[in-house]
Amino acid sequence: MFDLPIEGAELLAVEFGDIVDYFSVYTAVLFAFALLFIGLVIISRPEKPVDIVFGGDAYYTKEIPPEQLRFQRFMAIACGLATLGAMVSGDLFNFTLFSSMIGITNIGIVAAVKNRHVLEAAYQYGIVAMVATVPLFGGAAIALAATGTLSIWELAGAGAVPLLAKMLLVVGVMGEGMAPFYIGKAEITRAPGAPYVLMIHVSSLLLFLRVVEIALTV
Amino acid sequence: MIEYLIFAVFAGLLLHGIHRKAIARIQGRPGPPVWQEILHALKFSFKETWIPATASETLFVAVVLIAIGVWSTALFVLLTDGSLLLLFAVYMLHKIVEHGLGLSSGSPYGKFGAIRSVMSAASEIPLFATIAAVYLVTGSLMISDIQAWQVAHGPLLFTALPAAIALYIVVLAKMHYSPFAVIESKEIVSGNVTEHFGVWRAALDAAFGLKTFVLLYAFILIFLGPMPLLLAAAVMVLLLLSLSFICALTPMLSPFDTVTIQIGVAGLIVVYVLLAGVIP
Repeated sequence: MFDLPIEGAELLAVEFGDIVDYFSVYTAVLFAFALLFIGLVIISRPEKPVDIVFGGDAYYTKEIPPEQLRFQRFMAIACGLATLGAMVSGDLFNFTLFSSMIGITNIGIVAAVKNRHVLEAAYQYGIVAMVATVPLFGGAAIALAATGTLSIWELAGAGAVPLLAKMLLVVGVMGEGMAPFYIGKAEITRAPGAPYVLMIHVSSLLLFLRVVEIALTV
Repeated sequence: MIEYLIFAVFAGLLLHGIHRKAIARIQGRPGPPVWQEILHALKFSFKETWIPATASETLFVAVVLIAIGVWSTALFVLLTDGSLLLLFAVYMLHKIVEHGLGLSSGSPYGKFGAIRSVMSAASEIPLFATIAAVYLVTGSLMISDIQAWQVAHGPLLFTALPAAIALYIVVLAKMHYSPFAVIESKEIVSGNVTEHFGVWRAALDAAFGLKTFVLLYAFILIFLGPMPLLLAAAVMVLLLLSLSFICALTPMLSPFDTVTIQIGVAGLIVVYVLLAGVIP
């Protein structure tokens, strides 16, 4: 157990050989939040978005086809599971793998929608997520080269990971998490299916919160 | 704990009332009485309530409960002198609440509010710059350690002024009628909370009151240090009045301007952190 004055007390550690996954007060709260949203994705029905016809009083509601709903729900649950993994991972390489999986499933949630604008946004985000794997895995590789280990458990408090590696990890996570790109690509949110689209935001935010904790810990 | 929670909710709603009154007086209007927000919350509790036919029912209700849960957790962290990182993680999870409130209703106004909420996620960037600065100066992110450091060395407000300014802007961004409050701008009706009325609105008002109390109290604990409750209450009101002046005199910014300003502030803090903590 390590007790740094950063994230509260360590609660539980699960060892898989030299890989030690752990729960601190901080990561346990993030884990619980992800779990809550997986539950919501499973039990929630999507909303029926109302579109206004400009220039008149007319409006209409959109229904989501069942096959699209099933695929979005599947991708959102997969995204939630990847988020759970990223929250408790005690190994930098596993963390980067889970981050990449979150990026892939985020694209899946959006790309299920058969709308030209949404699909274009998903395609462009896909390129960003793909490019972001370079700094993401590069950061982990530099950490390994500099310290000889990828275990957060061993690196905690040592301050041995170079600042460059931490910065690359943060940049990589920002690329994998879709939320920052809402700023430039609001078309993504044209995608209906509130519980599933919300999972994109949940996963991106939790991933960012976790990488901040990792950057301060190692 | 429950008594602290109830006290914080009513204190937060009272602070909202003072905020509205101060803005009105600055703008030359009489304004509502200071307890108006408490009356609003009580009134909404007994109004007729239903869920819109276009909404995702479960999510529509769940985000309201999550809002209360998120800020109750934040209050708990604050009262138990827990981790500052956890406190601000909980603060960031409030973004999910804002986004979820807007998306779940199916209303286009709600959706506009939700999209603006995600765009204004830039307001969280100064927050992490603040955390980094506090960590560099005090060597800890536990609120108890930060308070002990201030007892020994004096208020952090003077030692890490740029970080305090960054947190002040974060708090300002979350105030009603703030120049950064684009998610509830009147051109999109009530933004992401447009469709939440009746008891849902009462619960949201309670959660947002709790949010205001927690953020102001956190600012005091982090940058001014521990102080008696009455003095803390007086400082909270003074801090709130300074925010009210800004809200009363500054027009609502456009969504992209809010992002530009907040990223600009974060950039300045990053430069400060690099100069103060990393480069030496």
